Amino acid sequence: MLIFYSVLTIVPFLWSVGTSFKPSEEVYQSNLIPNAPTGEAYATVFGKIQPNFQTLFANSLFIACVVVILHLVFASLAGYAFARLHFPGRDVLFFVVLGAMMIPDQLRLVPMYQMLVNMGLINDGPSNYLAIFLIKAISAADVFLMRQYFLTIPKEMEDAAKIDGAGPFQLFSRVMLPNAAPVLATVAILTFQGTWNDLFWPSIVLQSPSHWTLPFGILQFKGQFSTDWPPIMALVVLSTIPILALYIFAQRYIINVQLASSAKG
Amino acid sequence: MNTARNPRFIRRRKESLVAYGFLAIPMSLFLFLSVGIFFYAIYISTFDWGIMGPTEFVGFDNYEKAFSDPIFLKAVRNSVKYALIVVPIQSALGLFLALLVNSKIKGSKFFRSAFYFPSIASSAAITTLFIFLMAPDGVFNGTLQFFGVDTANLFNQGAWLSDSRTALYSIIGLNAWTTSGTMMLFYLANLQTVDSQYAEAAQVDGASRRQVFWYITMPLLKPAHLFVVATGMIGALQLYDQAILAGGADGSPDYSLMTVVLYIYNACFRQFEFGYASAIGVVLFVIIFSLTLLQKALFGSAGWRGEN
Repeated sequence: MLIFYSVLTIVPFLWSVGTSFKPSEEVYQSNLIPNAPTGEAYATVFGKIQPNFQTLFANSLFIACVVVILHLVFASLAGYAFARLHFPGRDVLFFVVLGAMMIPDQLRLVPMYQMLVNMGLINDGPSNYLAIFLIKAISAADVFLMRQYFLTIPKEMEDAAKIDGAGPFQLFSRVMLPNAAPVLATVAILTFQGTWNDLFWPSIVLQSPSHWTLPFGILQFKGQFSTDWPPIMALVVLSTIPILALYIFAQRYIINVQLASSAKG
Repeated sequence: MNTARNPRFIRRRKESLVAYGFLAIPMSLFLFLSVGIFFYAIYISTFDWGIMGPTEFVGFDNYEKAFSDPIFLKAVRNSVKYALIVVPIQSALGLFLALLVNSKIKGSKFFRSAFYFPSIASSAAITTLFIFLMAPDGVFNGTLQFFGVDTANLFNQGAWLSDSRTALYSIIGLNAWTTSGTMMLFYLANLQTVDSQYAEAAQVDGASRRQVFWYITMPLLKPAHLFVVATGMIGALQLYDQAILAGGADGSPDYSLMTVVLYIYNACFRQFEFGYASAIGVVLFVIIFSLTLLQKALFGSAGWRGEN
């Protein structure tokens, strides 16, 4: 049973790798390993297509990294305030965060797009990237996750630093953040994966082909190549490798966050 | 008394200021990108609003228009049908995989990773791969033929994704496969907090394995059930990537892959009816929101089978 289902999950991916090395006349043959392996599909995606793989990859990486940084900064700042500080209006503001979690992206689509048009960010130039950054600037779920984690850090650790004369920002940056490494890693990994894989917003916001991300590129080229499968499969393989590498290195964090997020449910 | 209260008061005020400093940017972003956008959506939905902005206030006309459009109703039916079928399958499969992996057998770590594998890749990559495998000359039909099925003479000629009778079910199969890995992790997380003493005690008392499963394990997994079904439903109603990849913007063939979100996309970016598109976004929000509340009520207070 275990082995049967593992075959079901792994073989399709092997098939995409196999197909990406096949010459086009072999595509529908039932051999997994090509009889006459060729790197032609890779030559196509690295060279002939416009935008080429390098451009798509660079865009995906750039966008994902910026969004990760934004999420880490804003989620840790807000998470800390909600977990540790006392101030009037805390419950109301936290309710706003919880409410933000309930608003689906599809409801945001039209007003967000209209607003970005008003701001002049829907264009062919580099400021088009700002549109994506603004849409994804903050995540309520990440704020929630950070708050929950900060709550578990013993108060005594802060007290000791307070006696040494640390100010509020020092408490945050020198005491809380270093102790929150696991949850920071979790937020970073999940944000990276989500942004890297996202098709919805890039397909709506990104105008110039030179700004496309990998999933958006796959969608576009799937239409263009229709049944010329090897280059499409090469794109599929190449876009999955980074996320697979991330998964292999960071498995334990990914499993951890599932624990954290299901505990809140 | 006064002297004691004063420094405390000053300290409190200082702490508040610090807190507002920490929250200034994050909360402005929330107010702007979530709360503001939410009300802006409702505002836009009450107008005839084209690419050049609002032309006429129309009240609830956009909402009425949606419910008299057969394609929208088809999109709602597709999305609901999809959600009602895919959620039980992916939850049950996730639970099944979690129970398999949770038993102490050799290599369970490897299997856990293997089962989660389809969940990590992008939907664009996975769906494209799936379309390739499901093509009339593809691997899926090849496998069926190997087992003696004459796919060319099937009712759909083996064209799983380009026949309106099987397209949606094919996508259900695809997503049950990709999401069950995530659902498995949620169940695993819950299983690891469940004390095995209960099951052992019941077994000592002579309970069968089936009884232990239905009366001990299932009720103890209530938090995971709630979470898996709620997130599954919300995700299912937002189906978009797989539909546009497999069926294009029209949800072809014959609108069989037209979903509510794809319909919003069309209304906005092909018909340029922003007011109308926004109204449907609000409808989708109401559906998702009430489902969430309903699930909270059903699972949260009414109790779960076997719970005392």
